[in-house]
Amino acid sequence: MSAHAEAAHHEHHGPPAAHQSSRVDARVLGMFLFIASEAMLFGSFFTAYFFVRVVNPGAPTEWPPEPYHFPVFVAGVNTAILVTSSFTMHWALQSIKRGQRTAFLAGMILTFVMGFAFLLTQVVEYLNVGFNTGDGAFASVFFGLTGLHGAHVAVGLTLLGIVIVRGFRGHYSPEHHHGVELPGIYWHFVDVMWIVVYSAVYLI
Amino acid sequence: MRKGIVQLVAIGVGIGVVLTLVAVLFKWLPTSASEEFDRIQDLYWFATIISIGIFSLVTAVVVYSVWKWRVPDDDDADGPPIHGHTGLEILWTAVPAVLVIAIGVFSAVVLAQNGRAGDRPLEVEALGQQFAWKFTYSDFDDVASGELVLPLGREVRFTMRAVDVIHSFWVPNFGQKMDAVPGITTEILVTPTRLGEFAVVCAELCGLGHATMRAKARVVRPAEFEAWIEERQA
Amino acid sequence: MTATHDQHGGHAAEGYPEHFEPPRGRAWTMAFGPGLVRGAWMALRVVGLGALLVVALRAWWGWSPYWDTHIVLVVGAMTAAPIGFLAGIGSFDYWLHYVSGRPTRPEDHSGHGARTWRDYFKVNTDHKVIGIQYLVTTFFFFTIGGLMAMLFRAELAQPGLQFVDSQTFNGLVSVHATLMIFLFIIPAFAGLANFAVPLMLGAPDMAFPRLNALSFWLLPIAGLMFLASFLVPGGAFASGWTAYAPLSEGQPMGQTFFNMGVQWAGASSIMTALNFLVTIITMRAPGMTFWRMPLLVWANFTTSLLVVIATPFIAGSQFFVMFDRIMHTDFFTPEGGGYVLGYQHIFWFYSHPAVYIMMLPGFGIVSEVISTMARKPIFGYRLMALSLIGILVLGFSVWAHHMFVAGMADWLRVPMMITTLLIAVPTGIKVFSWTATLWRGRIRLNTPMLFALGFVTMFVIGGLSGIYLGSVPIDIHASDTYFIVAHIHYVLFGGSVFTIFAGVYYWFPKMTGRMYDERLGKLHFWLTFVSFNATFFPMHYVGLRGMPRRVFDYAEAFGQLNFFISIASFVLGASFVIFVYNIVTSWTRGPVAESNPWRAHTLEWQVSSPPPIFNFDEIPQVVGGPYEYGVPGARHAVMSPAKEHVAEQEEVHA
Repeated sequence: MSAHAEAAHHEHHGPPAAHQSSRVDARVLGMFLFIASEAMLFGSFFTAYFFVRVVNPGAPTEWPPEPYHFPVFVAGVNTAILVTSSFTMHWALQSIKRGQRTAFLAGMILTFVMGFAFLLTQVVEYLNVGFNTGDGAFASVFFGLTGLHGAHVAVGLTLLGIVIVRGFRGHYSPEHHHGVELPGIYWHFVDVMWIVVYSAVYLI
Repeated sequence: MRKGIVQLVAIGVGIGVVLTLVAVLFKWLPTSASEEFDRIQDLYWFATIISIGIFSLVTAVVVYSVWKWRVPDDDDADGPPIHGHTGLEILWTAVPAVLVIAIGVFSAVVLAQNGRAGDRPLEVEALGQQFAWKFTYSDFDDVASGELVLPLGREVRFTMRAVDVIHSFWVPNFGQKMDAVPGITTEILVTPTRLGEFAVVCAELCGLGHATMRAKARVVRPAEFEAWIEERQA
Repeated sequence: MTATHDQHGGHAAEGYPEHFEPPRGRAWTMAFGPGLVRGAWMALRVVGLGALLVVALRAWWGWSPYWDTHIVLVVGAMTAAPIGFLAGIGSFDYWLHYVSGRPTRPEDHSGHGARTWRDYFKVNTDHKVIGIQYLVTTFFFFTIGGLMAMLFRAELAQPGLQFVDSQTFNGLVSVHATLMIFLFIIPAFAGLANFAVPLMLGAPDMAFPRLNALSFWLLPIAGLMFLASFLVPGGAFASGWTAYAPLSEGQPMGQTFFNMGVQWAGASSIMTALNFLVTIITMRAPGMTFWRMPLLVWANFTTSLLVVIATPFIAGSQFFVMFDRIMHTDFFTPEGGGYVLGYQHIFWFYSHPAVYIMMLPGFGIVSEVISTMARKPIFGYRLMALSLIGILVLGFSVWAHHMFVAGMADWLRVPMMITTLLIAVPTGIKVFSWTATLWRGRIRLNTPMLFALGFVTMFVIGGLSGIYLGSVPIDIHASDTYFIVAHIHYVLFGGSVFTIFAGVYYWFPKMTGRMYDERLGKLHFWLTFVSFNATFFPMHYVGLRGMPRRVFDYAEAFGQLNFFISIASFVLGASFVIFVYNIVTSWTRGPVAESNPWRAHTLEWQVSSPPPIFNFDEIPQVVGGPYEYGVPGARHAVMSPAKEHVAEQEEVHA
């Protein structure tokens, strides 16, 4: 043990504990504010969608314009996968709260696999959708919204991956599970956002 | 206290008089050459009167307070603990609200008047392109010109389009301005009331030559205008 | 062992924790330890990785050509390199440790506090250090932005082109505005608040100190990106700070630096805002109810809400322009079915609230200064706080007043005009309350107070010209002219910059522990005040008379007045030199400041100057309002034995 560590150990010169002036946990509040900001980022993309599709006097009457098609069914199956992953995420969190470590890990892995499947399907969809970014404003908003969402899924998967690694090393317990809860909140947000994106781009 | 009020009012009136002189002695607006700008100028003066009043009031209180109640930097007494005054606070919420609503109503009326086209205005298409204007008279076999020629006293409806980027059609003496936007058409009305030559200026940054994207607007008598058009049609 | 312990105990007496020193040589630490050196080489290394990634993906996708300079630049130089730099200076060290699955480290506070000037060039988690980092950085960019203004004012002294070409002129104008907005006003307020807000709240630090450090380091990245745009072929971005599409879409490569720089600056301000909100909500000292918070805290609370909600919109707008530029999408190209005005709506949905982001913290600073220097409670405290919320709410409903002549839907004009004009009501409340606070006060007319009063009067002019511009018919004549330039400078220079100066002078003794030179401060104020008015007031006139903005050439008739404006602007630039001289000399050898030279009641003045490393030995108990001047026996807070700590420190210094 080095002298420095020794010194730090003996003389604690840390700050006084801050007064907790709200019942809300700082990290949870931070995550919700971050999500509010993220929702507004999606909002700006939806605004672009609204201008291209509704306000623009030259908006296409058909969506998507001839001769293009969106793979509504495949994306629908993909939606089902992602929504299911929200439930497994919730199950994983509840399990670690009850101290059921195996169920927690199983839930996390299931969530991760479903999220990954979603992203993979999305990539395959991009490759086979039959149009590219330069094929008109409808393609811009299609790739814009789904791409923005895909990036969020990728970030979410990274967070889930971290949770899984730390989960296997036994860092979470019924008392300490913020590391699961926060990525979980984010993951639910990503799922809810997809339902909106799917409805706006594919269905309406 | 009475003496103080008199002094305060004197400062306020002094500032107000100076500002009024500044507002009146300099010619802040270009000479109006359109009916629309006449109305805008009335509105401008209305806003100016209110502005001079508010600025004089605030500045007078600041100057008077500093003059009356300034203490040396090392003074260590405190002022009277006045936390607020509900009546005053209501007053200075309500009065500005009334004033801005008055300006708002006046503005809305002017806007409506300036936006109401009479029957059969002269139709002119203004096309913005880096870095020149092209005016097309659709009533007269699409006669096109780089110079804008308008008959005196006749309402003109400009329909604006842009080829490449956003431009903004502005004749300072007409007081009317509108962007020419790629992909959509926009409109503005002008009724020239003064003979002469005026500048057409591009008011929206449109690239390297934005500063030099100017044209000439000429308001002529109706007969002259007819002659000019006929010459072009031929 | 004991000897070493004692030796280090010497430092510990000052309250500074030990920095963690790796068991390596000095050279090794320089090159591979967290810091600017590692930041530089890691940034360079990942540029290559980014480029490789682009080429690999394009090859896999089958897109030719595999090498696209523009995309490589965006991914390699503007995304990967900054991340590499941040990793190199050590912003991510703790998080990477966590991510790799190792057990969490207890915080050792090794990244806390600054002992030498070198510590200011490292990742530091101390909100006071970060606040000063912010301020020094922002004043650096303020200087550069100001020099650019001098350059194009020299060009504008006469009609026609003299010094620079048209592209450079437009570039200078655009980069000037961008630096002043994104690298000076917004972050300078964040810096002042970073220093003051946790102290004012009775908190030991911000809620997320590591995030706080990261948000600072994003800032120089954004600033350098804006400046670097001058170096690429085609020159700097030249479509104005508003970067209207489709002009911005046809610009040379420099525009992309704007698109990406805004993302970094925006991310920085969102993170800071989030941090402020969480700090204010969860870390107030016991007894510090919302109605006992100083108005600076209120101001930063509302500002932060604006930032968190609005900033993503400018991110979106610049993403769309960039996609249109490099991925050939059609968001704003009418030929492809895009809608040009969409850009302006999305842009102004951020950039109008941004005006309040640049103003509300100034309101907070001025409230602190006026109340303290006039020795009176702020007049109508609750209404002052509520008017901030009023501006916050109204601020989201006025964006289209920037578009009265843009060709947007006619029916939007009158509602937007009414909401715009109504903003005068909460703003008026604030101005009248400040003047009422002066009334019968005991006014000490020192430098911060001069700037605060200068602000009140100049801001009224800016607000009143705002009424003209809010009225649609007048705006139709005056928009896009020098009247706008005058208005924005009365609001942002006479408004925001004056409050930043007021704040810097006000908290200077607290930040540095030394006093600035009062005579130089007053000279700075008067020279700035006079030359500011001489520069910007005539702009109202040339604008109304018919001079459009963003032009290098103009009608002969405006020649004399523009010459006058240019001369005045050089004086304005020179006045800043006095400020820099005053700050630098006072910081290094000014007289030692008392802990509370202004006899203010708010919490930051109840600790030593500069404050102890963890702000408070024990969290104070708040027992009353923050501005109870003149109320017999009134206290804002009861301090724990922090006084002893101060005494101890003075002993050490002696």
